[in-house]
Amino acid sequence: MKTRLGILATSTVLFGLMAGGPVLAEDLRFTVWTGSEAHLKMLDEIAESFKQSHPDVNVQFETIPAADYTQKLTFQLAGGNPPDLGWMMEDAAPTFAAANVLMDLGPTLQAAEGYDYADYSEAAMGLWVSGETVHGVPFSTSPFMIFYNKTLFDEAEVETPLELAQKGEWNMEKFQEVAGTVKEKTGKWGFEFKDGQGYDSRIMHALMPPIRAYGGDAWANGECGFDDPEAVAAVEQLHEMVFEDKSIVPPGEQGDYFSGSSAMTINQISRASKMSEAGFDWGIAPLPSGPAGEAPVIGQAAIVVFERGGKKDLAAEFVAHMTNKENVAKMAQFFPPARKSVLESDAFTQANSIIPAEQMAHVSDAIANGKVLPSHERSPQILAAMAPKVDALWRADADVKQALEGVCAAVEPLL
Amino acid sequence: MADTLTNHVSARGLRAPRFSLRQREAIEAWLFVSPTVVGFLLFFLGPLVAVVYFSLTEWNLLTQQSTFVGIDNYVDALSRNPDFWHVLRNSFVFALGLVPLNMSLALMLALALSRPFRGVVFFRTIFFAPVVTSAVAWAIVWKFLLQGEAGAVNQLLAVVGIDGPNWLREPDWAMVAVIVTRVIKMVGLNMILYIAALQAIPRDYEAAARLEGASNWQIFRMVIWPLLAPTTLVIFVITMIGSFKVFDHIYLMTGGGPENGTLVLAFYIYEQGFKFFNVGYASALAMIMFVIVLALTVVQMILRRRDMQ
Repeated sequence: MKTRLGILATSTVLFGLMAGGPVLAEDLRFTVWTGSEAHLKMLDEIAESFKQSHPDVNVQFETIPAADYTQKLTFQLAGGNPPDLGWMMEDAAPTFAAANVLMDLGPTLQAAEGYDYADYSEAAMGLWVSGETVHGVPFSTSPFMIFYNKTLFDEAEVETPLELAQKGEWNMEKFQEVAGTVKEKTGKWGFEFKDGQGYDSRIMHALMPPIRAYGGDAWANGECGFDDPEAVAAVEQLHEMVFEDKSIVPPGEQGDYFSGSSAMTINQISRASKMSEAGFDWGIAPLPSGPAGEAPVIGQAAIVVFERGGKKDLAAEFVAHMTNKENVAKMAQFFPPARKSVLESDAFTQANSIIPAEQMAHVSDAIANGKVLPSHERSPQILAAMAPKVDALWRADADVKQALEGVCAAVEPLL
Repeated sequence: MADTLTNHVSARGLRAPRFSLRQREAIEAWLFVSPTVVGFLLFFLGPLVAVVYFSLTEWNLLTQQSTFVGIDNYVDALSRNPDFWHVLRNSFVFALGLVPLNMSLALMLALALSRPFRGVVFFRTIFFAPVVTSAVAWAIVWKFLLQGEAGAVNQLLAVVGIDGPNWLREPDWAMVAVIVTRVIKMVGLNMILYIAALQAIPRDYEAAARLEGASNWQIFRMVIWPLLAPTTLVIFVITMIGSFKVFDHIYLMTGGGPENGTLVLAFYIYEQGFKFFNVGYASALAMIMFVIVLALTVVQMILRRRDMQ
């Protein structure tokens, strides 16, 4: 019996070796938050091209929905099942970097042939570098743009944001005016916050564009900026649009831009892929300027390698491959690049099959002049502390200044 | 099974049984219950003991650093953190709103639907259907219905001249909205339990009471209600535990807002553990919740026993 078992075991092992060839294939697990078929197809192509230098490496992309992404990633890390590499959002970066769970990619990138690390501007890398350590490489430096429903603008007989921008008249005052006119003439909402979540999970996406256009910011050097006069003026304008003009979709209501219920919204160009299903004419324009001039706001995401992953060196090599000039140019159709050479090339503005080059030029400008959304080591706690105070702001009878002072009182101990 | 084994061994006549019948039965019994026992130890008792230990540590999920801090987390929650008392108050408001509403509605529905009449199955199905409906779908639909001006609920109210509030954006109304929508979702389960209990009461009791000249109310008060007491206790305990543990409904409908108006204990534990990664603190909060629910259950059982005596 023992002999028979022995023969069986030996033959199984031999058969396994023969089938697997001399070298066993290696899998890299890569977490992303996109479920878009077009995005995943492009990522698979990049993984396939990695096989030219690493024929036995398979990269498996695993989609985790954006809303739970950071949380589920943390569980995988804590549960001893870390991915080898993954995407990371800007607001999570400082927390993960401080926890020492991200690998230093600097040495691998510097050593990669033809990589040209200096092609990434210091501003673009700001969030991902501390001292000499490179925690991640941004693959998407995507400014927030105004998406508008041209059909509704035509119906209301007002100039579109793009036309106003081209005349140099696209500012916060005009924004309020056209939103009000569209509401009045078409009965549809003038503006919807990003994905309709500006009052809850996307507070920063709702507040930061106008606050920066007025010259304020969320916080700087450990001090809260929400109660500065610039921020108060910006939010007072939004408040007026919500409760007096009734041109912005108010809290508790739904007014989906993508289904034609709102004339404008804020989003990033990766979302333009959704516009092909929209049954209306549309376009994109820069954010309206304010008293502080143009102040583009950028959402950034990077590729990181996890220290606890078993194949971190191989994963770092894949990052170097994925973020080389050729692949960054390829990704630029969905994810605006942080590489200067790609950003400045005509290829970028012409890369997008659904957004015309003249509109993409505004995206390039915004990347060049924009500032990334605020982030902090304690972002989750800060956002949770802010949320109830911001709720108090979105009441019709709220005193905006007082409410924003409340936000600062809650946030300041955490900064 | 035991007989079969005995016959099998003695028929072959190879040797005397190694175990006595009693021992064999015990072994078989343990073999039968062992999957459940293993599951209980691995997935219930193990984590429960672990939570007690975690609650005595400061453990950051992300950095994986854990320090033993004794009862610091408990002291923090009970004396240093003002949010905790606000959250606890919300949990009690939720339970005090939900339990009586759910139980009284369930009893009324059960009384109406416990006897056979044409269409009774249809009505029972209608009231039970929300129980098996997906919580996500339920919450999304209600969020839609409860919108400010455009919501169907407020538009219906407007027809009768009532200017409805912005249900999910005003703290007090948001609590009312989550309680009522939760009651509608879960009342069918308690209704079924009450129907089963009502159908188990012999009809003779009611007939006897009627012969004595008792009114409907008297029959309910003096005959049916006392006989329903054991079921009422079970329903009370499970509904109360359920109301303290409510999470999905809050997560999907209000996210604890507005202004932390619906931030209940289970959701707060989730935030501390899984959003801020303070597993130690979250474990201490979970232990506090466990003690509260246990205490309320024990009190209810004592009252019930006293009532019976």
